Amino acid sequence: MSHAEVLDGPVAGTSTAPLSTARRRGAWSRLMRSELRLVFGRRRNQVLLAGLAAVPVLLGTVLFVTQDSALGGQGPGFVGRVTGNGLFLVVAALFLCLPFLLPLTIGIASGDAVAGEASAGTLRYLLTVPVSRTRLLGVKALGALAFAGAAVLAIAVMAFVTGAAYFGLDDVALLSGSTIPLGTGIGRMAGVVAYVALSMTGLVAVGLFLSTLTEVPVGAMAATVVVAIVSAVLDTLPQLSAIHGGLLTHHWLDFAEFLRVEVGWDVLAQGLAVQGAWVVLFGALAWSRFTTADVSS
Amino acid sequence: MTETTEPSSTPRSLSPRVRWAVPAVAAVAVAGAFVAPPLLASAGAEGLPDVTPAELISSVAAAQPVPMSGTLVYTARLGLPEIPFGEVGGADPIALLGGSSTLRVWTDGTERSRVSLLGSVSEYSVVRDGAEAWTYSSADEEVVHYALSAEDQARYDALAEQARAGTLPEVAGGLPTPDEVAGHVLAQAEQFSSVTLDAELTVAGRDAYQLVVTPKADAETLIARTVVAVDAETSTPLRVQVWSTQDADAPALEIGFTDVAFEAPDDAVLAFSAPADASVEDVEVPLPSAADLAQVPSAKDAQELPPGVTVTGTGWESVTEITGLDVANLVAGDPAALTSVPGAGKTFGSESAQDLIEEFAPTDENGQHGVPDLDTSALYDQLTTEVPEGRLLSSSLLSVLVTTDGRVLAGAVPADTLRGMA
Amino acid sequence: MTGTTVATGTAPAASSDQLPAAGGVPGDHDLAVRTDGLTKRFRSGQVAVDGLGLHVPRGSVYGFLGPNGSGKTTTIRMLLGLVRPTSGRAWLLDGAMPEAGATVLPRVGALVEGPAFHPYLTGRANLVRLDASDATADPRTSRRRTEDALERVGLSAAAAKPYRQYSLGMKQRLGLAAALLRPRELLVLDEPTNGLDPQGTREVRHLVRELADAGTTVLVSSHLLAEIEQVCTHIGIMSRGRLLLQGERQALTDRGTAHVGVTTSLAHVGAVAEVLTGLGLTEVTTDGPTLRALLASTPPEKISAAIVHAGLDLVGLEVTRPSLEQVFVALTGEGFDVAR
Repeated sequence: MSHAEVLDGPVAGTSTAPLSTARRRGAWSRLMRSELRLVFGRRRNQVLLAGLAAVPVLLGTVLFVTQDSALGGQGPGFVGRVTGNGLFLVVAALFLCLPFLLPLTIGIASGDAVAGEASAGTLRYLLTVPVSRTRLLGVKALGALAFAGAAVLAIAVMAFVTGAAYFGLDDVALLSGSTIPLGTGIGRMAGVVAYVALSMTGLVAVGLFLSTLTEVPVGAMAATVVVAIVSAVLDTLPQLSAIHGGLLTHHWLDFAEFLRVEVGWDVLAQGLAVQGAWVVLFGALAWSRFTTADVSS
Repeated sequence: MTETTEPSSTPRSLSPRVRWAVPAVAAVAVAGAFVAPPLLASAGAEGLPDVTPAELISSVAAAQPVPMSGTLVYTARLGLPEIPFGEVGGADPIALLGGSSTLRVWTDGTERSRVSLLGSVSEYSVVRDGAEAWTYSSADEEVVHYALSAEDQARYDALAEQARAGTLPEVAGGLPTPDEVAGHVLAQAEQFSSVTLDAELTVAGRDAYQLVVTPKADAETLIARTVVAVDAETSTPLRVQVWSTQDADAPALEIGFTDVAFEAPDDAVLAFSAPADASVEDVEVPLPSAADLAQVPSAKDAQELPPGVTVTGTGWESVTEITGLDVANLVAGDPAALTSVPGAGKTFGSESAQDLIEEFAPTDENGQHGVPDLDTSALYDQLTTEVPEGRLLSSSLLSVLVTTDGRVLAGAVPADTLRGMA
Repeated sequence: MTGTTVATGTAPAASSDQLPAAGGVPGDHDLAVRTDGLTKRFRSGQVAVDGLGLHVPRGSVYGFLGPNGSGKTTTIRMLLGLVRPTSGRAWLLDGAMPEAGATVLPRVGALVEGPAFHPYLTGRANLVRLDASDATADPRTSRRRTEDALERVGLSAAAAKPYRQYSLGMKQRLGLAAALLRPRELLVLDEPTNGLDPQGTREVRHLVRELADAGTTVLVSSHLLAEIEQVCTHIGIMSRGRLLLQGERQALTDRGTAHVGVTTSLAHVGAVAEVLTGLGLTEVTTDGPTLRALLASTPPEKISAAIVHAGLDLVGLEVTRPSLEQVFVALTGEGFDVAR
């Protein structure tokens, strides 16, 4: 192309040139870092994180402005407690984001994971590099999980900062009516954040599976969000109470256990076990699908 | 082309069929992990010593209250029209009317206890510490503090001191021994029912006996049987089921431990101080006098009923009739209408019963504590159906008929029985 | 119709249509690519590739030709382990695909169905990502590899631009750069000239020749015969999922019927015709001073010698061989770009 540089440079390979095909140490983490750069370097994802981080700022500002009005101290869930203790903005913001914004974010991250590469055509080049399909799926899953974690963390950290700035931090009055010291309260909030983040793992697995089914990322994203919403709707139907315990979203609000006088670890464990079951099931489905599918994009 | 001439030694990778077997295996494993434990948990307990119903009731009556904590699940399948109780106003006792609720209880076995009704992100707590009690609703951030007047408190403390010293004044007639109580209860029960023991089982991981009280076959009642599971070791009731004749598959009412530990709870759990931001309302509760207490054992026999209340029928077929009730205004939440409730100001026979009524029926004591956020009139319309005699509430355990002339008939009998009486 | 003109006297060295006979050892070390009965039937029931037996000798430049939709890309996808064959086997550099992909594919550079990169990453970042994905590549020399590859395809100046701003030609070059990130034993280039202007096409041809000279086997597919025909040493022609024929390019074109055209003076036309007939040539036609005849097994130099010997004017002598396109038309009875 540019010059007739025959035989010089490392590019002009010959069949006799030694070419190591042995796996190098650290190859996996190299691929993982590359994936994380791809996920977090993407403008769309950065905007998404910024948008989520804006939720607590917005919420905090609204509560700050209206706190002396007739509407002050009112609101669903924990919103009413925020003005008294800024620390509650963390849990109030997560509570507000749980029904839709977080599933949307998870849907975008996980639905795009495989389908995005397929639609861009980059999937076929990754596979011919080669990257083993199992490895690629694992990296994609971890990338989506990392993004989900970052989303929850973005909300929580901004909520903490905003809450502290507007309303100050104070000892935490639990749902049970007991009051615990601020230090313990922050620890409990960290527990809430960790539980909410882990609660997203099942949806990530579902999104990843849906992502392996299609070459249209938007389809996988939308389907993932729909799964979360349908799950939430089914959860409200008393006729289906027999299956409620196994629903993807049923245990999402169990983070409230961290705000009770005695944390119900068994309840939390149950919630995480259900997430684990979804991860195992849909992780296995995604693996089967992805490792057997023809890549024709 | 034979396989042996393949140039590559790489083993043939898994076939698609084998790969698709992986999620199938995963599904089976998950199903096994989630479905199997409950099946195992309900397996019968083996090797408990044989007891008779009388011995079992006697052991329950003799049992010393023990420190314990645990999780209770309460399920009502009353066959009422569906109402979105779920998160109406956070954790609220009204949720106990339908569906399933989770409660946590802690008690030190003596004077301190906490009961929490869990909402998904809310909690309704009742904390009792000696003569004091608090209720706290996290949804409203409201504390109600029940306490004795200073005078009564002093009396209470003295009584408690005497109790600890073992010098409690003798109550008239003396306290019956557990065996006497058991005999009395059994005799009462067998008048209208047969009392039997069912197979031993495991509740919340503990071996338990099952006491079954079945109404006599000719009794015209909605109740098929009542089953109480009693912990073999501590004689603590672990589960109560009330079965309806309408549904043979699942109990109409069930409350039982899913998890229980007989250990002293953490002191922090039993303590209560109102949160800084909560609104606190103080309610002064009168302490029954020694004379009142003395009447307690005899009250049962007296069948002392408030005016306007009559009971017809016996045993399971009893129907309670209340006259002169302003039902329409009551459901509209009009506090004035409360005065029409017979016995509204009555102090119940025992202190613990009083507590319980106060704890779970705050509306009984003061009108402004009505059920929040629920349009009670609409609820009333939704729950009841129009019949020629008035409005009828028909559930699988209880029928209530509100007649057009202001009478209320209620009983664990079929709705037609009430309509016949009206 | 532009036929390939072969200079007189260059007799083909070999004349077999098929390389090693079907009974040969599969994955014979002389073959960089081999398939046996490779078949792909899609779920729709459509048979995209039907019993393909592809033989690409090591060191060759194999032109994999066929109209659009003839199954070339599906074949290449099966070779690279992207698509699972319905039946049949494929070997790449002695490794059975797709099982041996992990050890074989690092030695294979590929451009499949056009370039594809993340549009919001720069050209360089895209290459770095692919390099980072290669578990066998040395991370310490990653930077050098990517810069060399960019340099090689003339994209160094545009390396910092996002891929979405690239022209079609630049995208194609970046695709080639990705295929050339490491020294390769085999390059599989699917339609490498798509979207390139004539200059770009020439550059690709040049690059292919250069790589081949260095010892790399190149499997290059195209639906445009003329574009790559010239650089190929071997040719395989596909139509409707089947391999119509394959072999050395020379042998393929020799297989068709060559014509000889003799230009003489107008006065000698009749005499020259007699000489040609005398040599056993048939279908002699006359067009002004030029005579044309079917060149059977007669060596062209024998014709010129006979004319000169007869004392007749010989202004010019030309042997016309059929183009691959003509061979294709003769085989299938249809035009190259028509077949679907």
